[in-house]
Formats: sequence, structure tokens, C-alpha cells
Amino acid sequence: MSMEDYDFLFKIVLIGNAGVGKTCLVRRFTQGLFPPGQGATIGVDFMIKTVEINGEKVKLQIWDTAGQERFRSITQSYYRSANALILTYDITCEESFRCLPEWLREIEQYASNKVITVLVGNKIDLAERREVSQQRAEEFSEAQDMYYLETSAKESDNVEKLFLDLACRLISEARQNTLVNNVSSPLPGEGKSISYLTCCNFN
Amino acid sequence: MGTKMADLDSPQKLSGVPPPPEGVGGGRCSEISIELIRSLTELQELEAVYERLCGEEKVVERELDALLEQQNTIESKMVTLHRMGPNLQLIEGDAKQLAGMITFTCNLAENVSSKVRQLDLAKNRLYQAIQRADDILDLKFCMDGVQTALRNEDYEQAAAHIHRYLCLDKSVIELSRQGKEGSMIDANLKLLQEAEQRLKAIVTEKFAIATKEGDLPQVERFFKIFPLLGLHEEGLSKFSEYLCKQVASKAEENLLLVLGTDMSDRRAAVIFADTLTLLFEGIARIVETHQPIVETYYGPGRLYNLIKYLQVECDRQVEKVVDKFIKQRDYHQQFRHVQNNMMRNSATEKIEPRELDPILTEVTLMNARSELYLRFLRKRISSDFEVGDSMASEEVKQEHQKCLDKLLNNCLLSCTMQELIGLYITMEEYFMRETVNKAVALDTYEKGQLTSSMVDDVFYIVKKCIGRALSSSSIDCLCAMINLATTELESDFRDVLCNKLRMGFPATTLQDIQRGVTSAVNIMHSSLQQGKFDTKGIESTDEAKLSFLSDCTKLFSQGIGGEQAQAKFDSCLSDLAAVSSKFRDLLQEGLTELNSTAIKPQVQPWINTFLSVSHNIEEEEFNDYEANDPWVQQFILNLEQQMAEFKAGLSPVIYDSLTSLMTSLVAVELEKVVLKSTFNRLGGLQFDKELRSLVAYLTTVTTWTIRDKFARLSQMATILNLERVTEILDYWGANSGPLTWRLTPAEVRQVLALRIDFRSEDIKRLRL
Repeated sequence: MSMEDYDFLFKIVLIGNAGVGKTCLVRRFTQGLFPPGQGATIGVDFMIKTVEINGEKVKLQIWDTAGQERFRSITQSYYRSANALILTYDITCEESFRCLPEWLREIEQYASNKVITVLVGNKIDLAERREVSQQRAEEFSEAQDMYYLETSAKESDNVEKLFLDLACRLISEARQNTLVNNVSSPLPGEGKSISYLTCCNFN
Repeated sequence: MGTKMADLDSPQKLSGVPPPPEGVGGGRCSEISIELIRSLTELQELEAVYERLCGEEKVVERELDALLEQQNTIESKMVTLHRMGPNLQLIEGDAKQLAGMITFTCNLAENVSSKVRQLDLAKNRLYQAIQRADDILDLKFCMDGVQTALRNEDYEQAAAHIHRYLCLDKSVIELSRQGKEGSMIDANLKLLQEAEQRLKAIVTEKFAIATKEGDLPQVERFFKIFPLLGLHEEGLSKFSEYLCKQVASKAEENLLLVLGTDMSDRRAAVIFADTLTLLFEGIARIVETHQPIVETYYGPGRLYNLIKYLQVECDRQVEKVVDKFIKQRDYHQQFRHVQNNMMRNSATEKIEPRELDPILTEVTLMNARSELYLRFLRKRISSDFEVGDSMASEEVKQEHQKCLDKLLNNCLLSCTMQELIGLYITMEEYFMRETVNKAVALDTYEKGQLTSSMVDDVFYIVKKCIGRALSSSSIDCLCAMINLATTELESDFRDVLCNKLRMGFPATTLQDIQRGVTSAVNIMHSSLQQGKFDTKGIESTDEAKLSFLSDCTKLFSQGIGGEQAQAKFDSCLSDLAAVSSKFRDLLQEGLTELNSTAIKPQVQPWINTFLSVSHNIEEEEFNDYEANDPWVQQFILNLEQQMAEFKAGLSPVIYDSLTSLMTSLVAVELEKVVLKSTFNRLGGLQFDKELRSLVAYLTTVTTWTIRDKFARLSQMATILNLERVTEILDYWGANSGPLTWRLTPAEVRQVLALRIDFRSEDIKRLRL
């Protein structure tokens, strides 16, 4: 591996029920592919993509986890070192939305308290089969203090935006942390409210 | 008239310029018309006109001469033209003849080619006719052959005939039927079809009997006949049915043996892993033995189908074995117990980690065997597909790859093992955490050792757990355990160290020097271990990393993971290695703390005694100091005593860091007291001597140069040693030479002012 050819390195872990499209989101972002008939992920998969944001090279290490229950103990072991978690559900599957609180409990239990969590509703290309309204998801994410985005890995809607916005937010968070560390004791979560959406506009 | 002539034959006309239309009729060229001449009355005018006419005449004459000269050439040309006349007629005749010939040839050629075409067609038809005749003959031959073969029970021969018949072009047969001999062929065909059905029935029946009787040669005999009858799928499924039965009976036998195994047996602890191994080995042997037949008689690319059938039986048997394993070893119950224990502040009785040890080992062994078996299947099927697909398109190849992945990833064996490993990871994590806690609780320190027992213990435990995960051959399991080990070391174990450090340095003021030293040493003895601890830890992680790496290289060389797995593993391992840098930070923190709470309170009073030694001295006192050192020797002695205590209990690296911190402290503190003292010339000299002794001593106890730390002090000594104020200029600015001043001009003035014999006006007047 060629090291040090980047300014930032972030670990992003995708979690969520089986079959909500985590692997497709990762494939779409890292390879520009949408492989149909994707088999279930086994254990965890690992992809790397380096993006440039405001002239800075950001290396994103993306861990795509299996959604099936029997891999839970494997996937949980990755939470702690994650800088960001992408919690994914399927807008055409009520069940995957109803499981979100359970996933949040896992995050609470295993992830670092500084982790950034993004809620993603995938498969908006299947809008006619939608079971979870956007408003409901927005209310939920607001209540949980999460950023919310709806995507389609198939149509490539919002996929770039999801990862690039997240990278932006991670950068500003990292800067904030070094600043805070230099001044006084770091307060976890401080500066999180800063709107990163205004700091960079993609597309 | 003359003018007219001139006008007609004017050179203009000859040169091809179109003549003006009125040129012939009117004497336009000659400006002088008859009418004009007639109208002339004056002689003078007539003369003038005449003159002009004469001139014109001359010109005309000249032109006429020139024209006459050309007459000869023109005439000779005319003669030649006349002579060519008959020749032209000849040419015309020849041309006509040629055209006739060409038309004829063309017609001929067309005729010939159409004949060739007809011939070709005829030839093709002939071939077809021959082929059909052959086919019909074959058909007849096959029919006769089948009958005889069937009568003789030579099923191979009969099948070969049927195979030949099946290979015939169906359209040819159809066509033949419509021919004159249709009825005969029809009859033949009917017979053949009957024979085919009969043969199929016979083969199926005989195969069934052979299977029932377990007559392997007969089974194989009929297995070979199926593909000849176009029954590839059926043959494979029937054959695998037979093989599955064998697998099942063997597996049941083995399972019964397991249940009867004595608990004292040498292999009792891994009996289920052994049973699985036997099952896998059995299937592998079957694949190994029968692959050649399948390949030869069914063609390449069929092994997948056979294994697909076998895997169903394998799954069934695995389920039985694993069920028994779960029941007999209380796997799920143990897991639930562990899960309850993992909840912080749970009330249930803790499970003894040591009790989990055998079951954890067995599970990893089971998974390792499954991985090995699945890898074997993958390799076999892949290479069989490769042969079969050598000519196939990319899509077909991908389709086959997908089928293979699906078979191996979705089979019950994979899922069952993934479930077992999922539970294993949680239990292994518990095992690691609890054992580490135990090691911390049982921490003992033996005199003469640089580290207490938990250092080695904890790293041994972590290494053992990761090593066991590695032995499962599952890359995800290994990575998960590395992650969990990182978490354990980075949070829980780091907390343990932090707490020890915090307890190690109570903020007490140590007034009594004697007591101070001993209690500092005591504090060190209890807290030192952390210090050593950490380096040991760093070494251990690096060491452990190395050993994992070598093990993993072995794993990778077996071709388990591929690049993807390697990258995953590298990433997780680098996180684990990063833990050592966190420990290093912790160590530095601890040492700084130790320096400020334990060393500083001791050293400060020793340095402060410097203030009670006058540096405003006369020759006599200076000499007296020479004989009875007032400060520095005692100070060095004190330092030496204190550091000796530390040196005995600290590892060299940590001792070095500590002395470095201590020397910095001495330099800073000494500077403070110097700035509070006053000096005269001899006092300055005395201080210079003292500083030199101190630096010389400190150089002997540290491994790196400390000159830098004392640079400011030695520059102060230089200033205090000056004869006159202005002498500083010999060392300052342009005259500084290799010396880099660490003191600012203001500080230089401040130090100069410490000399009571320097006048402040002189110092102020200095230009620095």
C-alpha cells in the first residue's frame, strides 16, 4: 500500500438490515457500478476511494458489512474505529426502517462517542413501492440528531453527495478536534452543529 | 476595292478573332470611303487621302505576299488528307469484327459459368444424397445393432447405436420419411425409438438394482451409459443419489462412534471437529475418485452438477453433526451465559474463562476444516469449468462463476459455520477480557524484574486469542478478533495503566529529604512497572505483530484470501500496531508526571542551596572553595544517589527518558537561582567551574549529549566570567563565530547586571 499520499484518512462503516443495498451503494461510489443480482455480503468487505475536496486528498476506507444476523459479532468489532457510520434502510421495506432503533442501540454500545452517523434511505428509484415516507424518516433522523439523505444506488442519485458531504463533515470535525485539543479539553460532539452543507456544494 | 481586300484578309481575322459582322459589306477598315473621296474637292485634301490610300495598299500587298507563301504547305496537307481516306474505311471494318468477337466470347463465358454452377449444385446434392443414404444405412444398422445388442444384453453397444441415432440430423430423417421409402424408414424409426425407450428403461432399472446392491462396477457401468442416451442430468443425479447414500451411511456410523466416545479419549475435546473432518474427507475422496469418469463420459463442466447434489447430502450430515455438537457441548447455553456476563453489572454468576478454552479451540478447528473443504471444492469446480469453458463467451464464464459462488456461499455448511463463528467471536472476546482482568488482578512484581507479571500475561493472552482466531482460517473472524484485541488494549487495559499511574504519584510535599528519597523510590517501585510496562508492551505488540504476520503469510500462501482479504487484514493489523504509540504517549505522560511530582521536590532544595553560597568572593575564599567545595559536589552526589535508585528499577530506554527530563529540570531550575544571585569576577569563575563539573557528571549518566540543554547556562557563565563589560562585544554579533547565542540582548544585560563590579551605565551603553 502506498502510504502518506493523502491529507486525511477516514473509516466509514455501512450498517443496516440485509438487502437494503449497502454493497450497491459502496460499489456505485467506488467503482461506478450497479451489479444486479448481488449476493449477500459475507462478513465484511473493504474498499478504498481517494477523493479530492478543496484541494485536499481524502482517503476513504469504506467497510461494507453483512446485514445478516449471524455476522453481527464480526461487524460490531468495526464500529469502534469508525469515524463515520452510514446507517442504511430500504424505503420500500417498512421492516428495515423499524429495525433502526435496534441499530442505534448497537451504535450506542459499540461505536466511539465522536462517531458521525448518517441515515440513508436507499432505493428511491422504486418510489412506486415506497413504504416509508420521507417525512417520517426525516422526523426520525431529526429526533436522533442524524443527517438524513435518500439515495438510489441504481440511478446513482445522491450517492456521490452522500460520501462527499460526509467527507467534508469529517474534515471539519477533524479540524475542530485538533483546535479544541490545543485549546482545552475536548468536549465530545462539540461543533457538530456546524452546518457542513454550506461549506461545500457538490453537483 | 483594295481597302476591302485588305480588310478581308487582315491579320486580325487570321489570328482567329471573330470578324465584326459588318466587316464584309462595308469598308470600315479604311477610313476613306468612295463617298468621301467623291466629296473631296480640295487638292490638298485629295493628296492627303491618296497618300494614305497608297500606304494602305502597301500594307495589303505585304499581307497578300505572306498568304501566298503559305499556299504550298496547305496544298501538301490536302494531298495527305486525300490519301488517308481508304485507310479509314479499313479501320471501321476491323472494329466491327472485334465487337462481334467480344460479344461471342462473353456469351460463351456466361454459358460455361452457369454450367459450373449447375455442376456445383449437383455435387452438393450428391453429397447430401450420399449423407442421407449413409444416415439411412446407419439408421438401419443402428436398428439392427440395437436389436442384437439388446438381445445380447450388450447395453454399451446398444447405447452407442442409440447415441448414433440421436446424433443424426433430425431434418434429414424427417425428409427421408417424406421420400418414396418413407414407410420403411418410418418403421425403422419407430423400432429405434422403441429401442431407445426400452434401453432407457432397462438402464434406469439396472442402475437402480446395482445401486441397491451397492455393486459399484455395475453402477459405474450404467452411469457411463446415461450420457450416450442424452440423459446427462439424470445420470448425474442418480449417480449422486447413490454416492449420497454412501456418504450418509458412513457419516451416521461416525456419529454413532462419537456418541460412544469415552470422555477420556485423547481426541475427545475435538471429536466433533474430527467427525466433520471425516465427512469432508469422505466427500473429497468421492470427488477425487469419480471426477475422471464424469469428465470422460459426461464431458468437462459437469462436475459442478455432481457436487451440487453431493453438497445437499453434506449439508444434511453437517447439520446433524453440528446439532449434536451444540447439544453435547452446551454451545448455545454457554453463549447465552457469556452474553449475560458481558452486560456490565450483570448479576449472574461469571463463567470461568478457562472453561471456555476447549470449546473455542474446537469451533475454530471445525471452521478451519470446513474452509479447507470448501476451498477444495472451489478449486476442483473452477478448474473443471475452466476446461469446459475454454471456448465459451465471457458471459457464460461469469455465469458459471456466479453459480459456483452461490453454491459455496449459500450452502448450509457455510451458513452453519458462520453462525458458529459469530458466537465464537463473542465468547472469545469474553475469554480475552476476563483473562486479562484476571491477569491484572493477579499482578505481581518480583524484585529484579523490570516488569510486573501482567505485562507478559496480558500480551500472552491477546496473542493466544488472536492466534486461535487465526487458526479458524476465517479472515473475517481473524480481523474481528484483532479489532476486539485493539479495543481491549486501547481502552480497558489502558485504563488500568492510567489508574496505576494516577495512584502512583500522590501530590505530597516531601520535606524530609531522607524520607523523600525512600518514598519516591517506593512510589517508583509500585508505579515503575507501568513505565517499564509500556516499553515491554510496545515490544510485545511489535513482536506479536511479527508472529501474526508470519502465520498469516502462511495462510495467504494457501490462497485463502486473495488481495481483498490481505488489505482487510493489513488495515486491522495497523490499527493494532497503532496501540503501541498510544502506550508510548502514556509512558511519556507518566514520566513527566513522575519528574514533576517525585523528582522536582527533591532536586529543587538541592539547587536552592546554591543561593546560600556566596559568589561574591575574594582570592582567599576562592582558594578555600577549591579545597572545600561548597555546593556542586554535594549536589552531584545527591543526584547520583537518587538516579541510582531509578536506574535499578527502570528499563534502559525509560531511564534515559527520565534522566533527560531530569536534566532539563536541573537546567531550568539552576538558571532561576543563578539569576537570583550576585557575582564578582572570581565568583563568575567559580560558577563556571561548578557548571563544568555538573555538565561533566550529567554527560556520564546520559546516553545523548546534554550540551544543548545547558547552552544557556554556559553562555551565562561566559558572561559572568568577563573582564570588562565591553568584552562581551568580542563574542557578540559579527564576532560570535561558531557560537549561537541562546540569550536575548535583554537577557545578556540582565546577566551582566549580576556582576556587582560592572557599572550599570556601561551595560546600558552597550550596543547589542
